[in-house]
Amino acid sequence: MKFRRDLYVIVTGIVAVSLFIGALAGWLDAGTEEGWRFVGYVQRAPVVLVCYIIGAVGVIWLGWYWLKLAGGITSIARRLKKETADCRLSIADCKSKIGNRKSKISNIDELSEAIGERIDSYSSVIGELEKQIEDLQIQIQLTQRQKRNIEAIIYSIRDAVIVIDEFDRLLMANEAAGRLFNFDFRSSQQRPIGELVFSEEGDAGKNEFVDILRQSRQSKVRATRREIEFSGKPQKDRKIGTPEDGKSRTFDCIVSCVYDERGQICGVVAVLHNITREKEISQMKNDFVSQVSHELKTPLASISAYSEMLLDGEAKDGRMRKEFYSVIQSQAQRLNRLIEDILNTSRIESGLIKVERAPVSLTILIEEQLQMIKSYAEEKNIEIIAQKPIVFDRVYADKDMISQVIVNLLSNAVKYTPGGGSIKIETEVDETADIARVSITDTGVGIPEDEIEHVFDKFYRVGANESCAKGTGLGLNLVKQIIEKVHDGRVFVASEPGVGSTFGFELPLATRGAVEAVV
Amino acid sequence: MAEKKVLVVDDEIHIVYVVAIKLRNNGYEVVTAANGAEAFELACAEKPDIIVTDFQMPAMTGLEFVEKIRQNEETKDIPVILLTARSFAISKEQEQDLQISGCLSKPFSPRELLENIEDILYQRAVVNREA
Repeated sequence: MKFRRDLYVIVTGIVAVSLFIGALAGWLDAGTEEGWRFVGYVQRAPVVLVCYIIGAVGVIWLGWYWLKLAGGITSIARRLKKETADCRLSIADCKSKIGNRKSKISNIDELSEAIGERIDSYSSVIGELEKQIEDLQIQIQLTQRQKRNIEAIIYSIRDAVIVIDEFDRLLMANEAAGRLFNFDFRSSQQRPIGELVFSEEGDAGKNEFVDILRQSRQSKVRATRREIEFSGKPQKDRKIGTPEDGKSRTFDCIVSCVYDERGQICGVVAVLHNITREKEISQMKNDFVSQVSHELKTPLASISAYSEMLLDGEAKDGRMRKEFYSVIQSQAQRLNRLIEDILNTSRIESGLIKVERAPVSLTILIEEQLQMIKSYAEEKNIEIIAQKPIVFDRVYADKDMISQVIVNLLSNAVKYTPGGGSIKIETEVDETADIARVSITDTGVGIPEDEIEHVFDKFYRVGANESCAKGTGLGLNLVKQIIEKVHDGRVFVASEPGVGSTFGFELPLATRGAVEAVV
Repeated sequence: MAEKKVLVVDDEIHIVYVVAIKLRNNGYEVVTAANGAEAFELACAEKPDIIVTDFQMPAMTGLEFVEKIRQNEETKDIPVILLTARSFAISKEQEQDLQISGCLSKPFSPRELLENIEDILYQRAVVNREA
């Protein structure tokens, strides 16, 4: 094509140049001299003819070429027409397809609209869910905080707390429970409770505890309360389940069932409160009441019997009557002392006692109380060695209370000293420490070393000496209360079993100025 | 009729004394002891017709003392009256098991004690006569 177009251009150029030259030669022929000169030159060669021939040939060729071109154009036009028709068909087809597409697109639009709506609704649901998740997270945080609070509460409770699930596995236990059953309460979760608590060595209390837990769960009883005693026998091969100190202890055990949302039992909570001390105190109180009633009835029995004897005329003579009266009087005093002991203990403990302080001489008080105790000592043939009053032994104290202290110590000394023994009373003044000290030493039965620290405890009686004499366990406790709580003094004791005991007290000296002011 | 012998046991000297006077004034021979151990020796040695003993005594309680005399061939049949300051100190079963003839609560009446002693000794005399 390119060659033909180039050829056509060349031929056209040649025709044009030939015709131009021919035309120029013709025009110049009729024109100027220069034209002539040129024509003259041209006329020497058959250029013009050649030019015209070439021009004619070129024109013919061009005509043929144009005709061919026109034919080609027509063919092209036809083809174009056909193609146009095809195109139109194609376009129609496309339009139809587009129409279909549009319909589909319309469906897609509807679908996408529906999806959009759905997405919107899902978005709102998701929004709600997110909010719910947020609420749940807050609730989880709150629950976790509550759990931590509950754990902190449970861990800080002094009672043993054990929580088990429906399969009797440990869910939670506090330190007290760990101590009681000797297991590590933090690392024992999910272990069977029977394994942690059960005793193979025959501690019936522990096995009973496991049974109660199981029974409570099985019987579905909401709460059970039982008193259990752990014998505390040490186990041979396993440490788990052995109380640390091996002492027998009594527990008030409350077992409650935990229910799930369907009302099914999902666990059991057991709280074990150690009531060993309470039981001991209760037992001590019972013993005390029993002992006090006996102690009260003993002098009362003498008073009653001697009075009846006097009324029945059983006293044969004046000397015997006097003896009977004397017994009645001494037993009445004994009864009074006992009642005073009980009342004063109660008053001092409640802080209701009236204290009337005044400068009093300890040796004079001792002399007075010795008169009361003398007959009792003589009955048992016990010698009393008292020193003479010393120069300045005054203390600023309640006379009646200190008298009671002295008489309690003296009567105890007589009570626990076998016949033929002796009691020595000493009073010292330590001016450097500004105290007066009274010591009462007997040749009595003495006190075992392991019991000495308890002799001033309320209701306490030295076990080994209970068979020697009766008592309430109040006398020495009252001595301690009066000396230490009321008078800021100090009591002391030293003893050797079979040799004797020394009981005494120290009180701050009354200052000379205060004494003189009162005198 | 020979004097009946009574063993009076109590760690309270005043009680022993008053019971002894009451019984002596009424024609009884009285031996006294201040504790269970001493009383058991006296019971074996003196073979009293009846024993009056306190319940709560140092070293050996009244019940332990009674158990001991019941185990001894020579003293097992001696009637015993128990003096006690503790109510419900012993049960009826214990009383029967130890053949305690009477139980008086402190404070007690020496007059009542005497009546009890006389009743028990009289019944025993009747039984012995019938036997």
